[in-house]
Amino acid sequence: MMSRFKTMWRWRELLWILVCRNLKIRYKGSTLGFFWSLLGPLFLILIYAVFAAILRFNQGQPNYLQSLVIGICVWQFLAMCLNDSLYAVMGNVNLVKKTAFPRIILPLAMVCANVINFLLTWCVLLPYLLVAGMPMQSLYLLPFVLLVQITLCFGMALILSTANVFLRDTEHMLGIGTLAWFFLSPIFYPVRQQLAFLPPKLAWLAFMNPMTGIVWCYRRLLMGEAMPDLSAVPAAGVLTSLLVCLAVLGIGLFTFQNSQAKFGDVL
Amino acid sequence: MCFRGSMDENVAIKVENISKVYRLSGGGQSLKQKVLECLRHRTPPRMLKAIDEVSFSVNRGETLGIIGANGAGKSTLLSLLTKTIFPTQGTIETQGQVSSLLELGAGFHPDLSGRENVFLYGAIMGIPRNRMMARFDAIVEFAGLQDFIDQPVKHYSSGMYVRLGFAVAVEVDPDILLIDEVLAVGDAAFQKKCIDKMREFRRQGKTMLIISHDLHTIQRISDRILFLDRGKMLGLGAPKTMIGEYEGLTRRRNTEIYQREWGTGEVKITSVRFHDADGTERDTFQWGGDLCATVRYQAEKPIASPVFGFSVSDSEGRIVHGSNTQVSGLVIDQIVSDGAVTLHLRELPMAAGLYLFSFSVHSSDHRVNYHRMDNCFPITIECNRNFEGYAYMPSEWSIGT
Repeated sequence: MMSRFKTMWRWRELLWILVCRNLKIRYKGSTLGFFWSLLGPLFLILIYAVFAAILRFNQGQPNYLQSLVIGICVWQFLAMCLNDSLYAVMGNVNLVKKTAFPRIILPLAMVCANVINFLLTWCVLLPYLLVAGMPMQSLYLLPFVLLVQITLCFGMALILSTANVFLRDTEHMLGIGTLAWFFLSPIFYPVRQQLAFLPPKLAWLAFMNPMTGIVWCYRRLLMGEAMPDLSAVPAAGVLTSLLVCLAVLGIGLFTFQNSQAKFGDVL
Repeated sequence: MCFRGSMDENVAIKVENISKVYRLSGGGQSLKQKVLECLRHRTPPRMLKAIDEVSFSVNRGETLGIIGANGAGKSTLLSLLTKTIFPTQGTIETQGQVSSLLELGAGFHPDLSGRENVFLYGAIMGIPRNRMMARFDAIVEFAGLQDFIDQPVKHYSSGMYVRLGFAVAVEVDPDILLIDEVLAVGDAAFQKKCIDKMREFRRQGKTMLIISHDLHTIQRISDRILFLDRGKMLGLGAPKTMIGEYEGLTRRRNTEIYQREWGTGEVKITSVRFHDADGTERDTFQWGGDLCATVRYQAEKPIASPVFGFSVSDSEGRIVHGSNTQVSGLVIDQIVSDGAVTLHLRELPMAAGLYLFSFSVHSSDHRVNYHRMDNCFPITIECNRNFEGYAYMPSEWSIGT
C-alpha cells in the first residue's frame, strides 16, 4: 500500500499536467474560458430561483431554493465525474497503447479536474448562501464531506472507466442509471420525504445511497437549523453512507488494478 | 520499471520464453455480442499467437535490429518491452530507463501547444520538470520548430509533428531506446538526422532496438538482427545472414501465388523429396551439381501406363525446363497402390536463385490428369559463376571469323 502511494508521488508531475490538460481542453476555444466554471453555477441559481418562484414547487417548505441549489451543485459534481469517467481511459487510447505509466493516473486526473471545477462552484455557492442568510455552522467539517464525496466519485470513476473499456454499452447504461440515481437522491426533495417511506428501523436503507448521506451533510453544515428536515436523522445513516463510499472506492481500486494490464490488448 | 533479478550487469534486456496470445472474438465490446458469445460457448474461441515462445537477450550498448514481414510480431514485441501490454507467458527484464518510439508523437494532444506536449511527454516518461526545462531548448532546436513551439500541434504539418516526437523522445536521454519504423516517416533530411542521432546513441553506449523495413539501413546500423515470422523467432545473428534469410523467405512466400494443385485424384503424388546422389536430403543445390527428386505416389485403383512429368520454373513462373517419363523413354506398365519414381537431373545449369518444381502424373494420351502439383516444390540454387540470364550455356569466344 505504502509503495503504491510512493509510486503515485513519483508521478505527481504527470498527474498535474493531465489535470491542467483536462481543464484546458474543457474550455478550449471559448472566449470566457475559465469563467464558465463560475458563470455556470451563477445562472443555475438564477434560473432555479425564477422557475421555483413561478412553478411553486417548494410545497411550502422554508428555504427550499437554497436546499435545491446545494443539492444540484453537489449532484453536478458527481454527474460530471460519472460522465467524464467514460472517457478517462477510452479518450486516451494513444497514451495507453503507446506509453507506459500507471494507468490509474487517468481517472485520478479526471476527478481532480472536476474537483477544481467544483471548488470554483463553491466560490459562487457560498456567497449566495451567505446573502440568503443561511446559518452556517461547523464549516470546518466541509472539507471532510467533500473528501467523502471525492472518494465516491473516484471509486465510481474507476469502475466506469474500466467497464467502458471492455463493454461499450456502459455509456448507454450510465445515462439511464444516472437518471434513476438522481431521483433516488434527495436533490429535489428533502431527506425527510425519503424517510417517510421507510419504518424508522430501516431508515439506514435510504442511506445505502451514499448521496443521501452526503447531501444531508452538506445541507446540515450550510443551512443548519434553517432546514427543519435535518435534525431527525440517525447517525447510523450517515455512517452507512460513509461506509458505502469506502466500499465503492475499494471495489473500484480492485477492479481497475486487476484489469489495467488488459487495457492495451482491448483498446 | 526496473527488475533486478539474476540479470548480468552487461545485459540490458532479457526476454525469456515469452508468448502473447490474443483471443480473436468474432464479436466486440457490446453487450449483445458478449451475451451471444456466452450462448455460443461451444465453439472454442480462435486464438492468435502474436508472439510464440521468443527468447533473447540484448547486451548493454548493443543495437538490435528486428525484421520480418507484416504480422510477424515486431510491433507486438516492442509493445511488450514498453510494457503497454503484457505477455501471456514468459518474463521480460529490462535494466535502465526505457524510452519507446512506438509511434512518433504518440500521446501528443492536438489541442495543446508544442511546448505543453513536450512537458506532457516528459512527464509520461517520468522525467522531472526541471530536467525537461533544461533540455527544452535542445529539443526545440533539434526539431527545428523555434517559431511554432507555442502553436497547438493540430496545426503542425505531419513532418513537424514527427520531428517534435523524435526530438523529445531522444532528448529524454533513455538507457534503452525502442524504435518502431521511424525511418519510414519524414523527409530525407529528417531521416539523416535520425540516423545520425542513432549513431550518436550507439557511441554513447546506449541500447537500441530498431524495427525497420529499410533493410539496407538496418543492416548498417545493427550489431545483430532478430528475424521474426508469424510470431516465431526464425533467427538471431549477424545482420547480413539474417537479411539474407528474410529475403529468401519473402521470395519463397511470393512464389505461393504460382502454386496450383489439381487432377482427378485416381493417382496422388503423396510426397516429393529432394536429395543429392548420396541420398542426403536437401533443398539447396550447387550450380553444376546433381539433383534427385523422389516422387511417391498412391493409386486408388490399378492404372495402366501412367506418365510422370516434371517442370522447373524460376521465381517469376517462367519454365526453365520440362519433361516426362514418356519423353525420356521410361515405360511404366501399370501402377497398383503406392510406389515411387525418381527423377535425376545432372549438371544443373540454372543461375543462383529460387526455383519451383512441378510434378504431375497423367495418362499416356495426356487426356486425363490424375494429379498435378504446379510450382509446389521450391529449391534454391547457389552459384558462384558469373553469367547473365537464368540458365548457363557453355560458351567460348575466339578471335576472327
